[in-house]
Amino acid sequence: MTEGVANLLELDGVSRVYGSRRGFLGASVAVRAVDQLSLSVAPGRTLGIVGESGCGKSTTGRLALGLETPSQGRVRFEGQPMPAVGSAAWRRLRARMQLVFQDPLGAMDRRLTIATQIAEPLAIHAIGDVSERRDRVAALLRDVGLRPDHAARHPHELSGGQRQRAVLARALATDPALLVCDEPVSALDVSIQAQVVNMLTDLQQARGIAMLFISHDLKVVRQVSHSVAVMYLGRIVEQGDPEAIFAQPAHPYSRALVSAIPVPGPRRIPRIVLTGDPPNPADRPTGCAFHPRCIAAVAVCRARTPELLPTPDGRMVACHIVHDSNRIAT
Amino acid sequence: MDGLVSDFTAQPPSVHNPAHGRQAGMTEPATARPLVAISGLQVAFDGVPALRGIDLTVQRGEAVGLVGESGCGKSVTWLAALGLLGRTARITGSVTLAGEELLGVAPATLDRVRGGRIAMIFQDPATALNPVHKVGRQVAESLRLHRGMDHAAATAEARRLFDMVGIPDAARRLHAYPHEMSGGQNQRVMIAMALAGQPELLIADEPTTALDATIQAQILDLLRRLQAETGMALVLISHDLGVVADLCSRVGVMYAGRIVEQAPTDALFARPAHPYTQGLLGALPDMVGPRRRLSAIPGGIPEPWNLPPGCAFAPRCPAHTPACDLAEPASRTAGREHQAACLHLAPATVPA
Repeated sequence: MTEGVANLLELDGVSRVYGSRRGFLGASVAVRAVDQLSLSVAPGRTLGIVGESGCGKSTTGRLALGLETPSQGRVRFEGQPMPAVGSAAWRRLRARMQLVFQDPLGAMDRRLTIATQIAEPLAIHAIGDVSERRDRVAALLRDVGLRPDHAARHPHELSGGQRQRAVLARALATDPALLVCDEPVSALDVSIQAQVVNMLTDLQQARGIAMLFISHDLKVVRQVSHSVAVMYLGRIVEQGDPEAIFAQPAHPYSRALVSAIPVPGPRRIPRIVLTGDPPNPADRPTGCAFHPRCIAAVAVCRARTPELLPTPDGRMVACHIVHDSNRIAT
Repeated sequence: MDGLVSDFTAQPPSVHNPAHGRQAGMTEPATARPLVAISGLQVAFDGVPALRGIDLTVQRGEAVGLVGESGCGKSVTWLAALGLLGRTARITGSVTLAGEELLGVAPATLDRVRGGRIAMIFQDPATALNPVHKVGRQVAESLRLHRGMDHAAATAEARRLFDMVGIPDAARRLHAYPHEMSGGQNQRVMIAMALAGQPELLIADEPTTALDATIQAQILDLLRRLQAETGMALVLISHDLGVVADLCSRVGVMYAGRIVEQAPTDALFARPAHPYTQGLLGALPDMVGPRRRLSAIPGGIPEPWNLPPGCAFAPRCPAHTPACDLAEPASRTAGREHQAACLHLAPATVPA
């Protein structure tokens, strides 16, 4: 459907480096939270980003919104370079892209009613007059499955699921083209999580919103994504069709990650238990960052960083071993 | 880490402290009575019911899972059993440990049980550990309290426990502070501290919820191994059906302060009998196979002060009939060792 259509969002070789001090008077160390990352999101499609804490998935979301300035590389939205943060052009653009967080209570002002908070983006971006805004808030509440009487309530009077619906209504108020969802359902109970996941896919179909869906929950990401990127220590290690990647992960890290997901019922992929902790981004291993925990690592993995390259089945993988065995096979 | 594991298996009986009468398991048959038996346990806070009659047994060496959503009472059950709820909680019913009543006994008696015969670990190891003390000292403290060890013996034993739970470079890590260790390593410290009292039962309350997927897999593997090596019973409290399926042989599903279904793990996932269990399984996205729209359970969990009459799940239940609103349904047999509290058990699930 979106073949040939220009990408809505493009990140091209983007890095984000933070300075971090070791101890009180220690020397500053460069921490590469995101390292030469390229990705694109087409209009109306969802790109899922999975990975563990510290892999840079949230930083990627903030780079996409222009909330972080890349240290290297370019972010383009609708083909245009991202304007400087805080500039008038950036503010105008922010109406076109919105962010939804994990914790809806933290994302809301506890002293304002739900209706006031949903109307706030409309006021900020000077959309409509008072009565138009009131109608729009009512329509948004309906769209996210809240009742009209929820409008006058305060955040603490709603349940967790209802709050996340209200946060979504607020994010949708300016009719954005892109929604960056950072762990949007992780704080919700299973039965409520399913309601919100269904609602997100419905809203996407109805409004054609593109989504960057960031989560540690592979099952939820598979449910909502058209494409998925697995991140490890600031880089994408595997990217492609979620069906293919979750059924037959190619990168050793993706394999371990998929096999670690506890599933009710018989296990399809034997569990691979990784040794060691996720590495410290400030102390990045040489070569492939995953090599100290990788069961397949050989000498070249310690020496050279693998590039993200296409495999014969159409996905992208950054692993020397995978590409070597493909070369031998062909 | 494997070297020290064999260390432990080489001296298993020595972990029992005769002073506490822990040899009970040897003098009576394991099947004589359950290790822990909870019956009719009710808890109310200021008149608001949190638990509405829990019946649950844990056999020696068994791994039991308790699943349910926030506020269903899965943690309160064990906090009540161990007398950790404070004065505002009104607790009735009975909780026995190897036949001895735990409810209403003197604090001094409970102090020997808690952290000793029954240990508990929680979701967030970083807040459960004291940030200003070295982790080794915290484990050693537990050893002094529950096993009366002196400083040298406690330090040596703490080191052995660190090895046992797979903390690399154990001797050095004893001197680390919690903030110097990762979340997974801190959870291992918590587990080491729990093992310090040589518990007959370990209660793990969402032990991997705050951890990354690959670290969660490590901790689940560790719990499985420790359980096999020490023979302790395990109660795993989790919101994640997958985690429970991974580790437990029997599962209880809780809803609004009651256990609505109890079954062997395989039976529960293959033939869920209660509509709530069926709903929970339907709401989980699959990892394989065709993508389908999730069958979300409509509505939300009822407020404990505003419970519906009759079955608490009735307002959200697809099988709801007027009879459901008359009285709380009693537990009925739905299969071998399989009970569900529902008036509308599917006929196929009732054994012929």
